[in-house]
Amino acid sequence: MTAFASAPVAAFGLFGDAFNFVFSGREAATGGVQVGGPDAVFDLAVKQVEVTLLALGVAILLALPVGLILGHRGRGEFVAVTAGNAGRAIPELALIALMATAVGVGLFNLVVALAILGIPPILTNTFVGIRQVDRSSVEAAKGMGMSNREIITKVELPLAIPTIMGGVRTASINIIATATIAPLAGVLTLGDLIISRNVYGDAGVLAGAVLVALLALSLELALSGIQWALTSKGLKLQRA
Amino acid sequence: MPDGSRSAENSSSHGADASPVRYQGVTKRYPGADSDAVHDLDLEIPSGEICVLVGPSGCGKTTAMRMVNRTVEMTSGDILIGDRSVKDGDAAILRREIGYVIQQIGLFPHRTIGQNIATVPKLLNWDKNRTDDRVTKLLDLTGLDPEFADRYPSQLSGGQQQRVGVARALAVDPPVMLMDEPFGAIDPISRGRLQNEFLRLQADIKKTILFVTHDVDEAIKMGDRIAVMKKGGEVAQFATPTELLMEPADDFVEDFVGADRALKRLALMRVRDVDLWNAPSTQAGRRSDDVLNELKTSEVPYAVLVDGENRPLGWLSTRDLDAETVPVHPDSTGVPMIDADTTLRDGLAQLLAGGSLYGTVVDGRGRLTGVLSVEIISDFLASKEAAEVAIPAVDRPHDD
Amino acid sequence: MIDFVQIAAVDPDFFKDRSGGGCIQDNNLFCPGWVVDNYDRYVDPTLQHLVLVLSAVGIGFAIAFSLAILAHRRRWLASPFLAATGVLYTIPSISFFFLLLPLTGRGTTTAIIALTAFTLQIIFRNVLTGLRNVPVEVTEAARGIGYTPKQMLWRVEIPLAMPEIVAGLRIATVSTVALATLAVFANGGGLGGEIISGSNLTFKTGIIVAGSIAVVMAILFDALILLLGRLLTPWKRAAAL
Repeated sequence: MTAFASAPVAAFGLFGDAFNFVFSGREAATGGVQVGGPDAVFDLAVKQVEVTLLALGVAILLALPVGLILGHRGRGEFVAVTAGNAGRAIPELALIALMATAVGVGLFNLVVALAILGIPPILTNTFVGIRQVDRSSVEAAKGMGMSNREIITKVELPLAIPTIMGGVRTASINIIATATIAPLAGVLTLGDLIISRNVYGDAGVLAGAVLVALLALSLELALSGIQWALTSKGLKLQRA
Repeated sequence: MPDGSRSAENSSSHGADASPVRYQGVTKRYPGADSDAVHDLDLEIPSGEICVLVGPSGCGKTTAMRMVNRTVEMTSGDILIGDRSVKDGDAAILRREIGYVIQQIGLFPHRTIGQNIATVPKLLNWDKNRTDDRVTKLLDLTGLDPEFADRYPSQLSGGQQQRVGVARALAVDPPVMLMDEPFGAIDPISRGRLQNEFLRLQADIKKTILFVTHDVDEAIKMGDRIAVMKKGGEVAQFATPTELLMEPADDFVEDFVGADRALKRLALMRVRDVDLWNAPSTQAGRRSDDVLNELKTSEVPYAVLVDGENRPLGWLSTRDLDAETVPVHPDSTGVPMIDADTTLRDGLAQLLAGGSLYGTVVDGRGRLTGVLSVEIISDFLASKEAAEVAIPAVDRPHDD
Repeated sequence: MIDFVQIAAVDPDFFKDRSGGGCIQDNNLFCPGWVVDNYDRYVDPTLQHLVLVLSAVGIGFAIAFSLAILAHRRRWLASPFLAATGVLYTIPSISFFFLLLPLTGRGTTTAIIALTAFTLQIIFRNVLTGLRNVPVEVTEAARGIGYTPKQMLWRVEIPLAMPEIVAGLRIATVSTVALATLAVFANGGGLGGEIISGSNLTFKTGIIVAGSIAVVMAILFDALILLLGRLLTPWKRAAAL
C-alpha cells in the first residue's frame, strides 16, 4: 500500500510489475507457488470471454424474438420498457452472490445470472427499435403482399438494427463487467486476479484490471464492427 | 390607398407606428458560393406599406429579407430603417425592434401563449403590468380568446398558432415587420381567412412590412408593392400589383406571373366590390308559400335558410318547400360560404371547390349579404372594367 | 475456495449477540428475525451508498453537461467526446477501481472517480440529443426575436432539452445505485460491504437485505427524478390533455 502513496512516479513501477506478472509470472503472495505467467492468464481470459459470449448469446436468443414480436404487434410496451428500467436497478454483486449461495455455483448458473442482466436492454431496444421504424415502410410492405414474418425479417429488423445493436452493446458491457466477479460464483475469470489479491499481489490485481479493461474495449469494438456490417448502406447514408 | 404618406420623421425607436426601409446597393455572397445570392439590391419601401418579395426558389428573396434583422449579414451595401443603418450596434438589440414571423411559426413550446407574446417585452425589461396589458391587447387584436394566454402552443390549432406568432412579433409595436412565408404552412381555406384578417389588422396598425412568398397569388393579394426577384438575386420588377399584371416588365415576369393573367385580375377585385345577386332568405317555420312566390322572380333558383342573426344555414330547393312551413334543416348544408373580403379569384375557387354555381356571401360577422354566382364572375371577366387599370387594385378591406 | 453451503464466518463477531436462532444457523433464504434485530447495521452502509451515488452522479452531471454544451456549440467536438466517454463507459467499474490503484489508492475517492466516469457517456449523450432535437424553427424564431446566444441556450434550448436531460439523469442514477455495490472492492464502502463482508458472501439474508436496499434506493431515485422532470416540464402535461 505505502508504495502507491508516492504516485505517480511509482505508478510506472507498478505497471511494470503488472507487465512482468502477465508475461513471466511471479511467486504467490502467500509464498511457494508460481502464479501468473502467459498460460495461466490466457486461460482466465478465455474463460471470461467464454462466459460472456455464452451469456450474451442466451440473452439475445431469448430477448430478440420476444422484442421483435412485441414490437411488430405494438403490444407489451409496458413490459418491454419496464424490463429495461428494472434491469438497470439490479445490483450485479447481489445477483451473483445470491445465485451462488441460493442456487449454486458453476458455469450454468453463472451464465443464467449474466443472461438475466443482458436481457432487459436487448428486449427494450428491440421493442423500441421496431416501433420507431417508419410506419409507411411497413404499410408499403403490407401492401405489396409481404407476410408478417417477411415484414419482420426483411423490413423491420434491418431498419431497427442500429437500435437493437445499441441494446446488445449495453448488454455486453454489463455482462463482461459482471463476469469479472464470476470467481465469487466459482468460475475463474480474469476477475480472479483482481479479487484474490492475497494470492496474486498488487501486480496481479493491476494486471487483471488492465486486461479486463482491454477485453471489454475489444468486445465493444468488435460489436460496433458487427453493427456496421449489419446496418444497410441506405441507413448509413441517411445518417451521414 | 394605404396611408403611405406618413412622414419619415418617424424614427426607428419603439412605439413608432412605422418607418421606411431602404436597401442601398445591398449584396450578399455566401462563403464558397461563386455568385451573389442577392446582387446590388436597391429598394425603397415607404412606411406603412406591405412590400412583397416574390420569386422562384433560390432567387434570394428570403436572404434579402433576412439581412434587415441581420439573421443574415450582408456582404456589402447598407439597409436603413428610418435613417438608421441596421449595421449600427448589436444584432440582438436590433432584432428586438423588428417584428419577425416565420413559416414554421416557431412558438416556444415550453411557454404559455401569454409568455410567448411577452418574449420581447421581457427581453426589454418591461414591467409586469405593462406587459400583461400588452398581451391582453394583442390577443384581442389578433382575434384570440383572452383565456388562451395560459395555454400552451400544442393546445392550439395551426391557424391559432400563426395568430400568436403575429401577436408575438407585434409585442413591442415595432416599426417594421418581417414575414417569411407566414401563411405557407396553413391549409388553403384557413390561409385565405388569415390573409384577410391580417389585411384588416394592417389597415389598423399600418406597419412597414416585408413579406416573402413564392406564391404570386398571395403576393398580388397582400402586396401594396411587389418586388419580383429572379435568380442571381436581382429585382426583375418593382411595381404595384395592378402594374405587374397589366404591364409585366419582361418575359421573366410575364412568365412568372403566369399565362392566366386575365384570371389573376380577379384577385384585384373583392367580392363585396361587385354587384351580388339576391336570393330569398327565410327562417325555419315561416310560411313556405311566401318563399315560393319570391323564388319565382328571383335571380337565384334557391332560397337561403338563415338563423335569427341572418347567418346562412343552407339552401332550400322548391321541393324542400313542399310542406306548409319552412323546414328546420336545409337541403344542402355544404354551401360555399364566401367572405365578402375575399378576392373574386378566391371566391371562384370556393365555388368550383364546392361544385356549386352559387355561394352565399357573408360579412365579417357571418351575416348574409348576397349571393355570388359563377355567372357574375364570367360577366365581370368579359366586361371592359376587367381589362382596365382603373380598378381598386390596392384597396385594402375596410376595418369592419 | 469458498464454501457456499455453510456460513463461512470470516468475522467471528458477525453474529454475536444477535438473535435469529436456527434460521441463521441453517442459512435459510430469508430470516426476518435478522432484519428486526440488525436493521441498525445497515444505516451507515446505506448512507455511504447515498454519498457514492450522489457524488458520482452530481460530478458526472456537471462534467457531462458542460461537455454537451461545448459539443453543441462546436459540432466537431461531439465525436471525440463521444469516443472518450464511450471508453470510460465500457471499462468495467471494478477494473477501473484497480486501474486507479497506483494513482489514488483504495477508498471512497477511487470509487467515486470510477462511478463518475461511468455516468459521463449516458448523461452526455442525452443532453446533446436533447439540445439537437430542439426544433430549428424555434431557435430561428428566438434568434430573429433578439435573443443573445446565451439567452437562447438557457431560456430556450436547455428547457426544451429537459425531457432528454431528465431521462439521462434517471438512467445514470439508477445504474449507478446498482453499480455502487461494487465499490466495496475499492474499499469505498456502501451496501456492497454488507453483501460480501462478515459472511464472505454466503449469508443469504444479508445479501437479500443489502440488495433490496439498493433496489429500493434505485426506485426511489427514479421516482424522484421523474417527479422533478414533470415539475420542470409543465408544457408536456398540458400537451397530453
